[in-house]
Amino acid sequence: MKPAAPLLPLLPALVLVPVLLLLPSQVHGGGWDLIGQFLLAALQPSTDPVVLESLLRGLGITAGMALLGWFCSLLIGIVAGLASSRLLWRTLIGHAWPAETLRRLLAIPRSIHELIWGLLLLQVVGLQPAIAVIAIAIPYGALVARVVSDLLDTLPDANLQALRAAGSPAPAALLTAMGPPLLPGLISYGGYRLECALRSATLLGVFGLGGLGNELLLTLQSLEFRELWSGLWLLLAVMLSLEALIGALRRRWGMPARFSLRSAGVGQRGRELVLALLILVPVVLGVGRALAIDPAAVLHWQALPPIAPGGWSEALALPWPALMLNTVLLTLLAAALAVGVAPLLLLLVAPWPWAQRLLQLVWAIGRLWPPPLTALLLLFALKPGLITAALALGFHNLGILGRLLLEGSEAAASGPQQALRCAGTGARLALLYGRFSALARSYLAYGAYRADVILRETVVVGLVAGTGLGSQLNESLSAFAFDQLLLLLLAYAVLTLLGEDLSDRARHRLLQR
Amino acid sequence: MVDSRRPPLEPRLGQRSSPVLELRSISVPGREHPRLAEVSLRVEAGERVALLGASGAGKSTLLAVANGLLKPQQGEVLWSGEARARRQRALRRQQARIGTLWQDLRLIEELSVQQNLNSGRLASWGWPRALLNLLLPLESEACAQALRQVDLDPQLLQQPVGELSGGQRQRVAIGRLLRQQAQLLLADEPLASLDPRLAKDLLQLLLEQATAPRALLLSLHRPDLLEGFDRVIGLRQGRISFDRPVQALTSGELEALYAGLPQPAAR
Repeated sequence: MKPAAPLLPLLPALVLVPVLLLLPSQVHGGGWDLIGQFLLAALQPSTDPVVLESLLRGLGITAGMALLGWFCSLLIGIVAGLASSRLLWRTLIGHAWPAETLRRLLAIPRSIHELIWGLLLLQVVGLQPAIAVIAIAIPYGALVARVVSDLLDTLPDANLQALRAAGSPAPAALLTAMGPPLLPGLISYGGYRLECALRSATLLGVFGLGGLGNELLLTLQSLEFRELWSGLWLLLAVMLSLEALIGALRRRWGMPARFSLRSAGVGQRGRELVLALLILVPVVLGVGRALAIDPAAVLHWQALPPIAPGGWSEALALPWPALMLNTVLLTLLAAALAVGVAPLLLLLVAPWPWAQRLLQLVWAIGRLWPPPLTALLLLFALKPGLITAALALGFHNLGILGRLLLEGSEAAASGPQQALRCAGTGARLALLYGRFSALARSYLAYGAYRADVILRETVVVGLVAGTGLGSQLNESLSAFAFDQLLLLLLAYAVLTLLGEDLSDRARHRLLQR
Repeated sequence: MVDSRRPPLEPRLGQRSSPVLELRSISVPGREHPRLAEVSLRVEAGERVALLGASGAGKSTLLAVANGLLKPQQGEVLWSGEARARRQRALRRQQARIGTLWQDLRLIEELSVQQNLNSGRLASWGWPRALLNLLLPLESEACAQALRQVDLDPQLLQQPVGELSGGQRQRVAIGRLLRQQAQLLLADEPLASLDPRLAKDLLQLLLEQATAPRALLLSLHRPDLLEGFDRVIGLRQGRISFDRPVQALTSGELEALYAGLPQPAAR
């Protein structure tokens, strides 16, 4: 018995069985009225001008931090990506070892979540506007670098060889033969990173690095749900506008979609693109001034408190296997929930277009709503622990995967689904057989990549929901136990690098067949 | 390949029973001229009807109306005497009796031949059987029988559809119609991209399946393939130019059908 392609995306949803069985034991009795109030407040957001002004100011800071962090990450990522390309070094010096070395080095900043970078920088240089920007720029830069070098190394190099054979110098040949085909993928991925940066900047705000996230946390903690929803609706409007703008530009400029199921010509309207990039530079500088970013201030490091005697032995005595196991379990649970529930929900609402639109709205809220806030909200009714953390993380990633699945589903060939509908098949079965068949493998491959991201994100909910390495990290940070912190970061790096390797293998297997 | 020992198919004019399909004054608007204008026709059980016309004449639109994909702005569609249902569930029951052979076949590439054949049964299956079919393909004997009917080896049942040749895929698509147990077979230029020999074989196969209570309505680009049909309907700019027995069709009518229009490219 081997499940056929359309069933594959649904298999992870089997995790709902143990989760639903365990959920009643996680309920602590109170708090349902608060959750009810929270949901009701969605329909009555506060329109108090003072509240709105404060929220808009916070939103401006968050958007500014996101834009700057994203821009810096692109600069770092493109330079580091080119420098870690095997093709580039092989063409220049005939060996690829500098690329291999740099790739390994870049794995470290990539493996540490932007929140950890933010909290570490907060300890080292104190609170200042540049922290969130740097916290985003470091891991994002390393991620972009990996994507750039992978893109470059997998492009066909016949044109490059032809130019080299005709006597072109290596740099000119590289630029001419590889530059144009690299650009569409890079711009498309860059646009997607801006959406991610907005989410990250909101999250960093929740942990005290300024902006709207901070406002959201304060309103949640003071149970001012109407004010909270005002902020959420504002953020939703900005995020959906940004997603729509990036999607429209991607289509206008003929850039490939993330779920590259549709093969269209790439690269159009080059002048418009260059103009947009030129406009971006003064905008970024202006935003930097408005946020009072002072790069020099980042160089003034505060002295760290000394490590207490016996600190290292205490650090080694932490329950490492349990911490790591909980982190892995949390990743698997959250990933399975996100990957499996998205297609399940899409199937459930398939006969009703209005329900599909409602689902899209819920997914959009899931994407922008930082997981620690979901965890805090769930704590009104659930006990802290693995299930609560997995639900919070799963909901956030469900929003991301759901949108992607819907985009992929709309881009996939509609013929088989239409043929089934014309033969009297119901909307759900026609979607399952007719569309999920073609999508299944690429969706799961993206799910594998997402699981790798979720592993990094476990720190975010761990800090709130009290489970895994993230929870311990919170305690060690509060106690200024830098020896523990160092070991925890090492453990995170090892886990995420292993996870990255496993996810790479899974993706390779899924896409190879 | 078609068994050469089979008796040649004779046109069966004069057989009349309840119409499997009836279109009454169907109109579908278009940009320059109506895609369909006041089109009325009947297809009786056991009848084999060819639809001729140049590109853009309205053949595909007519078939889309006939299989329920397109709801006409004006006019009435009747399937076995029943008007097009308003409720989705009832409409699905009606559509389950209509099988369409699409020009691009619309097979599900990632599934096996057996699972594709069984996808023709989804309208009458519930969720449990539909899901089980994706785990452990069901009704092997019925699927093998459908393959035999379209002259394919039942050993192909487990093969992924993506690995079949063009001719085999065409036959699997017809097999899916047989599994669907459709009463009305519709085919939208199924021979357009086939070489002459394969086109003839496939047409023969389709004509063989169209015995009462089934009926066949097939759109064609090539008048030389009309042998074996009972009737031929000519469409020009969304209107019926002629509707008569194949033997009664004159070369003048054919020329008029394509007159003033770009000739189809030579194959």
